[in-house]
Amino acid sequence: MRILIIEDDLEAAEAMARGLGEAGYDCTHAADGAAGLTAAQKRGFDVLIVDRMMPKMNGVEVVSTLRREGDATPVLFLSALGEVADRVDGLTAGADDYLVKPYAFPELIARVEALSRRRETGAVATTLKVGDLEMNLIARTVHRGTTEIDLQPREFQLLEFMMRHAGQSVTRTMLLEKVWEYHFDPQTNVIDVHISRLRSKIDKGFDRQMLQTVRGAGYRLDP
Amino acid sequence: MRLPRIFRTTPFRLTLLFLAMFSAAAAAFLAYAYLATAGEVNRRADAEILREMNALEALYRRGGASALNQALIERAVGERPFLYLLRDKEGEKITGSIEESPVEENEPGENWTTFQVTDTDMDGAEVKRTARGMEERLSGGELLFVGADVSQSEGFVTGIVRALWGAGALVILLGLAGGVAVSRNVSRHMAGLNDTIAAVRAGDLKARARVRGARDEYDELAGGLNEMLDRLERSMGGLRHAGDAIAHDLRSPLTRLRARMEAALIEVEAGKGDPKQALVQALDDADNVLTTFNAVLAIARLQAAGSAPDQTLFDPGQLAADMAELYEPLCEDKGLDFKAELVPRLTVKAARPILAQALANVIDNAIKYTPPGGAVMIRVRRRSSGEIEFSVTDNGPGVPLDDRNRVVQRFVRLENSRNEPGSGLGLSLVAAVAEAHGGRLELDEGPGEYDGFGPGLRVALVLPRVE
Repeated sequence: MRILIIEDDLEAAEAMARGLGEAGYDCTHAADGAAGLTAAQKRGFDVLIVDRMMPKMNGVEVVSTLRREGDATPVLFLSALGEVADRVDGLTAGADDYLVKPYAFPELIARVEALSRRRETGAVATTLKVGDLEMNLIARTVHRGTTEIDLQPREFQLLEFMMRHAGQSVTRTMLLEKVWEYHFDPQTNVIDVHISRLRSKIDKGFDRQMLQTVRGAGYRLDP
Repeated sequence: MRLPRIFRTTPFRLTLLFLAMFSAAAAAFLAYAYLATAGEVNRRADAEILREMNALEALYRRGGASALNQALIERAVGERPFLYLLRDKEGEKITGSIEESPVEENEPGENWTTFQVTDTDMDGAEVKRTARGMEERLSGGELLFVGADVSQSEGFVTGIVRALWGAGALVILLGLAGGVAVSRNVSRHMAGLNDTIAAVRAGDLKARARVRGARDEYDELAGGLNEMLDRLERSMGGLRHAGDAIAHDLRSPLTRLRARMEAALIEVEAGKGDPKQALVQALDDADNVLTTFNAVLAIARLQAAGSAPDQTLFDPGQLAADMAELYEPLCEDKGLDFKAELVPRLTVKAARPILAQALANVIDNAIKYTPPGGAVMIRVRRRSSGEIEFSVTDNGPGVPLDDRNRVVQRFVRLENSRNEPGSGLGLSLVAAVAEAHGGRLELDEGPGEYDGFGPGLRVALVLPRVE
């Protein structure tokens, strides 16, 4: 997996490259918007990490230029601004995800992972299958093996998200953003409670536990 | 050259404008009055002259030149108000009360003219008077001039015109004086306001404009200015307070972070201690600092913006239902009875994400402080005033009356809450959110004490009605 980091803060970029390198990603760095755009235009990257505020060309311009040129490489937008308007700006420019600085490393890795795998599961599926867990998106039913599992609408959405990102770590913040569509810090462990409910429905009575807790990061659904 | 200040004031300029408009109107009126009066007077004189001329012509036709001559002599003696001159074919005077014809060239037909006659008044002094008349050539070739003294009527018209001019001048003078007076008055009031603004600009945030109690627009302006300054002072105070509070609240975890890292470094250098443990601890401390910082920033942004950005219309019950859905399992886990009473199909105007955050804070607090076995209820309703009320009621320990104002302030945490995690900014943020929507935060006692629970707390976020 090749990642292009477009970020003018050299120290932050270096730390990011080191951390992503540890996680097995091959990182290239561009120190300003114009250089980043030139590098991105050569293609060959799986994910672009773009800082919002940079000299020469800001992140929004870089992303919207790439999108105009038909480049669909997933983009993770980084910004010190967390306001709703800024988030909307970034996403309308064509970014696929948005992360507010400062971020926890597991959060960054989880999001990059989610973006880099997104392409592989691009086709529209009517069923999702992870191990012996099967979800029918049309009938909105879930089976594990032969047992039918009864889920509340939100639990269904939560499981769908976990299944689409099976084998990847997803963070609590990602779940809150993607499943509940809230962008705030809920302070307490609300997400944990929802996960433990879901876990009791899909894993209880089975030998193999599919829904794993990843220390310091979040959760992962294993096949 | 700069005009004196008074001439540059808006009221004075307005006065000038109105004077100009008035003068134009007066001039038009004057012209009309003159034309109407003078025209009428001349018309009447002309008619009389014409009648006299016709009478004399009739006489001439019947009795010839001698009869006319006779009549003219009689009339001159009889002191008729007409002037006559009868001349022969060569233009030599036959008879008449004037010596020369005022009509310059004798053209056929009627020849009208206005001229001056010199007369002597009772004191023997010479006076010039205006007269008007016409001359006609009679059928025998003689020239007959009939005129009339119109100085009296002329004088009447001139009198009117003079009076109108006088009145106009008087009005302009009075207007100018009035303009100056009004300008002075406005300037005096403005000077008070300007003094206040100058004082504030010089750094005295406590300066206030004087409100005289006249309830006029100056009072309104002064009141508005004062209100603005109050708000400014409050927000400056809030900012200063926030700065102090951030310094205070961030300093302790930062100090702790630094001390831990330093101690860990010494230990690791000495070959003992677990560097990983120290780093995990440091990360935790850093996260706490960030959480506090983010909350303070969110409050500061809301207060700086004045009103919440990107407000939309939506159903408050729907939002509350979403929040209830998010928090209900947490309640159940803690053994709390959770209820939601949501009036459907109401409308509120708010920034949804920000309001969601505020509600989350309130629900979170209720769950955190209510002991197991207790109850939490979330409610959305429309007050009779039309305001929309979100309320969260619990039967936890509540907040004593004296502390209710205090808990809304930044970083205030009551003694019995020290053990719970939290930044002490939750309710401050809720209050800031309420204010940014033109609403307010209300804290009341909950359902009271019973079964070992209570008295509880009722936190209501009240948003203004949607017009």
